[in-house]
Amino acid sequence: MLDLAITGFTLAFLALGLRQPFLWVLAYLYIDILTPQKISWSLLASLPISLIAFILAFGGWLVLDDKRGTRFTLRQALIVVLLAYCGITTTIAEFPVEAAEKWSWVWKALLFAIFLPLTLRTRLRIEAVVTVMVLTVGAILITGGIKTAAGGGGYGQLQTFVPDNAGIYEGSTLSTIAIAMVPLSWWVARFTTIFPRGKLVTLFAAALTFAALLIPVGTQTRTGLLCIALLVVLSLRSVKRRFLYLGLAGLVAVAAIPFLPASYTKRMSTIENHQSDQSASTRVAVWMWTLDYVKDHPFGGGFDAYRSNRLLVPTVKAEGTDNNVTLTTEYHVEEGRAYHSAYFEMLGEQGYPGFALWAWIQLLGVWQMERLRRRWKDRKAAHQAWVAPLANALQLSQLVYFLGALFIGIAFQPVMFMIIGLQCGLWSYCRRIDAPAPRPVLPGASQLRTSAT
Amino acid sequence: MVDYFALALSHGLLVLAVWHLAWRRDLDEDPAQPEPETVEPAEPRPSQPGLRIRA
Repeated sequence: MLDLAITGFTLAFLALGLRQPFLWVLAYLYIDILTPQKISWSLLASLPISLIAFILAFGGWLVLDDKRGTRFTLRQALIVVLLAYCGITTTIAEFPVEAAEKWSWVWKALLFAIFLPLTLRTRLRIEAVVTVMVLTVGAILITGGIKTAAGGGGYGQLQTFVPDNAGIYEGSTLSTIAIAMVPLSWWVARFTTIFPRGKLVTLFAAALTFAALLIPVGTQTRTGLLCIALLVVLSLRSVKRRFLYLGLAGLVAVAAIPFLPASYTKRMSTIENHQSDQSASTRVAVWMWTLDYVKDHPFGGGFDAYRSNRLLVPTVKAEGTDNNVTLTTEYHVEEGRAYHSAYFEMLGEQGYPGFALWAWIQLLGVWQMERLRRRWKDRKAAHQAWVAPLANALQLSQLVYFLGALFIGIAFQPVMFMIIGLQCGLWSYCRRIDAPAPRPVLPGASQLRTSAT
Repeated sequence: MVDYFALALSHGLLVLAVWHLAWRRDLDEDPAQPEPETVEPAEPRPSQPGLRIRA
């Protein structure tokens, strides 16, 4: 039944693209985020559905879509360069087979981020992309949130639709994306023209936010908790009643603590005392190794270069009570440990140039959203008031990602590249509609010119 | 069961959204916005309101 419903929905989504080709772009977003082909087990699983959706989206745009006013932005050009650069490092990678496997999905994420802004010509298209992203990620958040509330979950144990602990379904990644989606879901609730605005939409956004906040609890990921804290602090900038907001946030936090599972609070306490935590010590050791590695390989070792590492990881253990504590350092060997940080992932795999390009693409986004936010914040007309809050939401999502990326190797996370694509699209759209109208020719100007000659 | 509920709710909303979008004209072109109001040039004011210039 589920198989039939998911297959039917996906195929109907694609079929509706015949009426409106832009829907194929939305279908690709849906398929790439949720991977319904992994939930389904018959027809959909046997079709290269993601590739089909991409070909339809790109073909539909190329053949049928109006391209007036389409601009190619600097960030898209930078992504093109990054794509080419990663392609080159893949051909000379230290682990060619593993590198080729990662390249097989990275190029799609980058290409889609280049392509998406070209299609975002109207306000409704931008809104449609945000809405489909929120609802699709929302599907995972709802199930994860309910299961957590019902007492399920655990580190690496919270199962949503897909049993493999990879991509968006990996615990830390899901936590980061869940929190990054919160500002976007509130933007949809405030400015949607697709759904009738009102209490129901606000209620849905509130429920989705609650589910998103539960994901770090269900997955028991420390990264998610830090992301929540960052979002609370960053949101202070845009909320109207700051003290009320802070008071409510504090109240919710205090009220939530008794309901959190003991395993969760125990794991969160290791944020401060990371030396006794083996996984944290391993991360630090990998990061140090990467810094040494990139000195010898300034152009990186290609995807999955971490496989060559061999680390001696120290773990400090405290024994005894209060005033009589003995600290002992134990060492153990770890091999082929992943980067556990997008920054070190970029540095180790793509070297200094790749890291610089990636950082440029990311930071330019923060700067562009800030510019849009400031430029449009005082425009209150109905057709303009949505811009500054969207720029703000996209900036917040990206900053949450920056924090999550400190501890997870998600440098090429497709959802985050979709957000980059959205930012490029919004930037390009605003530049176009905000361009000064051509000056009207003054009546009599030609006569003046004639009389002057 | 929870998975079914989550999929039904999210996909139900996606169906509504996509169906709605398929028939919206402004998906392809933004609706024309009213021209920005032209500000009438204000009457020139005397630099010191209390003073009148005698002819």
